[in-house]
Amino acid sequence: MPNLDLYQEEFHPSPLVHTWLEFRKSHIAVLGLWLLAFFIVLVILGPLIAPFDPLLQNPNAFLVQPAWDASGSIRYLFGTDSLGRDLLSRLIYGCRMTLGISLLLVVISMLIGIALGAIAGMTRGVRSSVLNHLLDSLMAVPTLLIAIVIVGILGIGLVNSMWAICLALVPQVVHNTREVVRAEMQKEYVLASKLDGAKKFHLFFYCVLPNMYEMLVVQGTMALSIAILDISALGFLGLGAQPPSPELGVMLSEGLREAYKSPWLIALPGSAIFLMVLAVNVVGDGLRSALRNRLQN
Amino acid sequence: MALLDIKNLTLEIEGSNGWMKALDKVSMRVEEGEIRALVGESGSGKSLIVRSIVGAIPENFRITADRMTWKGKDLLTMSDMERRLIMRSDITVIFQNPLLSLDPCATLGEQLMESIPGDLVKAQWFWQRAKSRRQMAIKLLHKVGIKDHRKYLKAYPHQIADDIGQKFLIACALVSSPKLLIADDPTRGMEITTKIQVLKLLSRLNETRGLTILFVSHDLLAISSMASRMTVLYCGQTVEDGKMHQLRKRPLHPYTKALLDSAPSFRKDLPPKSPLAALDGTIPTLQHLPIGCRLGPRCPRAQKECVKTPELRHVQDHFYSCHFPLIRDKQ
Amino acid sequence: MMLAHVIRKFNLLILTLLVLSILSFMLVYLFPGDPLVNLTGLEDIDQETYQRLTVLHGFDKSYFHQYWYYIRGLFDGEWGLSFSSGLPLANEIAQTLPASIELSAYALILSLLIGVPLGFVAGFQHHKTTDYGLLTASVVAYSMPIFWLSLILILVFSLQLGWLPLSGRISLLFDIPHHTGFILIDIFFSDLSYKGAAAKSAFYHLIMPTASLTIVTAAIIFRLTRRSVIEVMSSTYVQAAYTRGLSGFQVVMRHGVRNALVPIIPLFGMQFAVLLTNAMIVEVVFSWPGIGSWLIQAINQRDYPAIRAGMLAVSTLVIMLTVATDLLAKLINPAQMGTAHAES
Repeated sequence: MPNLDLYQEEFHPSPLVHTWLEFRKSHIAVLGLWLLAFFIVLVILGPLIAPFDPLLQNPNAFLVQPAWDASGSIRYLFGTDSLGRDLLSRLIYGCRMTLGISLLLVVISMLIGIALGAIAGMTRGVRSSVLNHLLDSLMAVPTLLIAIVIVGILGIGLVNSMWAICLALVPQVVHNTREVVRAEMQKEYVLASKLDGAKKFHLFFYCVLPNMYEMLVVQGTMALSIAILDISALGFLGLGAQPPSPELGVMLSEGLREAYKSPWLIALPGSAIFLMVLAVNVVGDGLRSALRNRLQN
Repeated sequence: MALLDIKNLTLEIEGSNGWMKALDKVSMRVEEGEIRALVGESGSGKSLIVRSIVGAIPENFRITADRMTWKGKDLLTMSDMERRLIMRSDITVIFQNPLLSLDPCATLGEQLMESIPGDLVKAQWFWQRAKSRRQMAIKLLHKVGIKDHRKYLKAYPHQIADDIGQKFLIACALVSSPKLLIADDPTRGMEITTKIQVLKLLSRLNETRGLTILFVSHDLLAISSMASRMTVLYCGQTVEDGKMHQLRKRPLHPYTKALLDSAPSFRKDLPPKSPLAALDGTIPTLQHLPIGCRLGPRCPRAQKECVKTPELRHVQDHFYSCHFPLIRDKQ
Repeated sequence: MMLAHVIRKFNLLILTLLVLSILSFMLVYLFPGDPLVNLTGLEDIDQETYQRLTVLHGFDKSYFHQYWYYIRGLFDGEWGLSFSSGLPLANEIAQTLPASIELSAYALILSLLIGVPLGFVAGFQHHKTTDYGLLTASVVAYSMPIFWLSLILILVFSLQLGWLPLSGRISLLFDIPHHTGFILIDIFFSDLSYKGAAAKSAFYHLIMPTASLTIVTAAIIFRLTRRSVIEVMSSTYVQAAYTRGLSGFQVVMRHGVRNALVPIIPLFGMQFAVLLTNAMIVEVVFSWPGIGSWLIQAINQRDYPAIRAGMLAVSTLVIMLTVATDLLAKLINPAQMGTAHAES
């Protein structure tokens, strides 16, 4: 059916669609989105694709070169590590772990952060302003330090490092949410609802929150990139995930020993982390530009 | 010779359905020493005209004109350098919302003194230059009516009132002794007392220095007190052009009449609780411009002829473009 | 008005430091093990000494007393002993913290020198090729995990090419007396006969850690500056300055620079925490004897007093720097514009 454009209707897209159309204009952003989608597919379908069990050690195949090297074989596409474990499977499971855990952490910390930020933004008074300044100061403490302290209290391990990173992500979310909520509360449409008799709860969920979605998405991408980097950093330092877990940071620290002879042992896991973070950052950048352009037009 | 002579200026913008005419054959002549008003609703293209004169049109616009000259020199074909020279010395512009045009981080004194071009102080030793700049600045401030120069030279933009800000911008504009001052809605959003201050200043400058003013606005009250000639613009087309008192007494175009009617203080016989006079409908968007006379769909006197764009006709020096002007209606 | 602001910030600083000290005191109880042992760092103490220490630190009295004694002890320099080395913590921190500060300071200065000018260049060339090129480079740079970047630098420059040393702060041949803890300054002020060679060695050891820190930090600073410059250049007053006839150069220098820099200085302050986290990771990779690798060792050895003292030292430093940067921003900005435009 040909597109009959008989009436030159004005095309007024909804804000969401508008943002998507603006986003699509940047090719790099769309590429980033494809890359991110690839990783998410990996997270979901990981166990089905991986050829081997990531923890399975094969004593006959230590440090096999990757398939593109002369002595490698197609059986181990990316080669094996010093314990004979297939690198490809470990990479897939590693991406799954790193990205999956980061997504989970971001969701949890955003929920907590939004709740706290909303309360902080909607209340007034000396107490709340003191609390706000304290939270802001908490942002000044390095994340690694918070992680070390929490790991010290609770002990080394993946779950404890997750708590630590969650705790480190929350202040940033609270800060941004509070700023946005405060700005929205000054606006007149909120005042109009207030005069209509809306209670604070209603004000937040029906007036302020729908206008915050974009900020939240941007915030989410930034938090996601930080979370991925932090999780792998903690794994690398030995404070988070522990060997023989196939977490990417752990794989990097394990591969250090053999790095001179088998550089792909650190090149590949590192590239995986790099590509994931790159994809998230590019998508985040694209979203931010799309939102800015949408507001200007 | 007219200072600014624009004839059939057309500004087209490329849209999804081809080229759309944002300005359609606009014509205007600004004589030396007069205050000319350019009136129209928001969206009629007034700011576009200002921008084409200044040369600040974005790249995706296409500009054509039969004639667009400044003191005889063609504005369309001259180089950027020349344009900028003219902008700096002969034509100045002041915009709406004075506080936005000022750098928030610099004091007023700094901003005024930096607009004083080097050649006005070149003849002196460089340690005297700062002092003479300051003296010129103080003189300018007095000229625009800011008496307390010591306080205001040190002040930051967010500390001053709107009208002082606009007067200050006029002072900045006067630095190079321009011939033409284009005022793009300078009193928008101001309270009436501040508005009067600025308008009084502008008329005074026109009387004492012979400064030609092109006053672009949609505030009829302000204009009617000051201007000598008025051009009415509707949707990118010149609709009427003539002497102020003639337009007031006998508007020839239905739109001008509607405009004048819509300001209650022009009508003496308004009964209490009667609806205010206004034309039905709103300004059409660029994508849906009517063919021919753009007032067509809204005009109470429209007939079949109005599908053809009326040409600019004149009765002595009162120009109008309408097929059915109000010539025969009694006042 | 200005003074009131300073006083208020100062009060908040004191408040924050108070909260931090309370938290670090709480760690004594939160860490596994006996609180007194955690506090002093002495293990294997007999009954008598235990009783004496209990009275000394007020553990027989309320929590408030204990906290008070703790604070007093901190100011006295009594920070306790480390579990693993048995040495006083104050000394160990005094040795390692300057090393980290030195590394971070050099990286920060370099990042500012690279990031800010490039940010201006990109901002002025918005939507042109230079801008896109620089922007792409910055996204790549700050998406890199810093430990991976350091490892690659080591692989290429140390192992493959052999140009730069692998780890450490200075070649083991040299023994520099410890005055300030900043190695280049110490070398300069010492009177060793082999000053030149020592300085050269220290410099070579500095290159790679500083480089990896700088790459990531400069990218962030670049993005912040660029965003601010773009906002300023598209603002009304800049356009108005152009119509007033000011030349491009004048507009940029007079209005552009000041207005672009002012809102981002507080944002730079918030980067201190990130910088320090990255510095700690870099220290581990390069075996740089700073507080980061010291703390990581401490946690691997369950050295709780060390963790507690280290955390307090580092957080105090970062918070004071952040507040100082905030105050600096308010000082430079006469218009007291509170909100920052730029995002990263």
